[in-house]
Amino acid sequence: MEFTLKYKDINEKREMPDEDYTIKDLLDELELSAQTVVSKQNGELVIEDTVIQDGDEIQIVQIIYGG
Amino acid sequence: MQCSKCGNPKVIYKREQSGQLLCKDCFIESIEKKVIKTVRKEKLLDRGDKVLVALSGGKDSVTTLEILNSFRQMNVIDICAVTVDEGIANYRQEGVDIAKRHAERLGIEHKVVSLKEDYGITLDEIMQRPKHKGSCTYCGVFRRTIINKAAREMGATKIATGHNLDDEVQGIMMNYLEGNTDNLTKLGAKTESQAEEFTVKIKPLREIPEREIGLYVVAKELEVHFDSCPYAMQSFRGEVSEVINQLTEKHPTIKYSTLRGYDKIKGVLKKEMQKEYAHGRCKRCGEPSANDLCKACSFLEELGV
Repeated sequence: MEFTLKYKDINEKREMPDEDYTIKDLLDELELSAQTVVSKQNGELVIEDTVIQDGDEIQIVQIIYGG
Repeated sequence: MQCSKCGNPKVIYKREQSGQLLCKDCFIESIEKKVIKTVRKEKLLDRGDKVLVALSGGKDSVTTLEILNSFRQMNVIDICAVTVDEGIANYRQEGVDIAKRHAERLGIEHKVVSLKEDYGITLDEIMQRPKHKGSCTYCGVFRRTIINKAAREMGATKIATGHNLDDEVQGIMMNYLEGNTDNLTKLGAKTESQAEEFTVKIKPLREIPEREIGLYVVAKELEVHFDSCPYAMQSFRGEVSEVINQLTEKHPTIKYSTLRGYDKIKGVLKKEMQKEYAHGRCKRCGEPSANDLCKACSFLEELGV
């Protein structure tokens, strides 16, 4: 069970630790605030409660920068 | 889970303050409707206005341009834009290029003005000086002066800036915390200066949270410059913003209530605290100024430019 993460220069395959692994869990792991990013699952915007599926491509776009 | 408005199962946003769930189309529509509502409620536009959009190429100014353009398409207003190039290496050029492309796409009059050409110095050069007042102080003053001049030159009747809910609430709290009652009287949806040479400024996005503007541009696939100003970390604004965002996690309506509270006391504040306008002129550039030199020229003198 793995998915592809795209964030800034990162483009890598990652293992899913459990079946109910959500985008929110991923953001927590990456120490990113849901307030500063938006997430896409296979190219479509989704909310952070979305459960990541096997083979998904998850793209995280930072929309808020300090200052 | 489905969109609270149309039932579409593809939800892209949950409004924490209301629990509302929105699909892409309903989210985009909700932002556009809210901005149009602010424009009407605050009477930001008059038929026949020529609005100059201060266009950096970032998400806020691109959204301002995009939504105000709907009024242009209805022949209510005309639009022009100005982009200020402060001279920040590896940062500003991308925004300038994006701004140019948007102006071209919409077919609007657009001008790029650089600090180097206008004042002979870039922000990077100022920041290399041993004694400086901090990047945001210079940037704010020079940018404001350049935009005001451009508005006069381009015959604009209003200047629209991309200030969002977060910016406005930060402004209210910063000025309050600093005890700057004079600046506190100058905030709001529409700011009219007592000097005729200063064009009326409007903030159509002041009720839209910053995150929703970020999501709006991604949802609408608008090209914007998402990047951090290399000098941003040095600002007091950043510290205030962090505190407000922390509070928002447990109190999701706090930004709105701060704005509403300010709007209620603004009239009294203005009446009691606004300084009498001195009808002077800057000796160096001729712009309206309370002192012998306007803020921009006093900085230039200090910098020896």
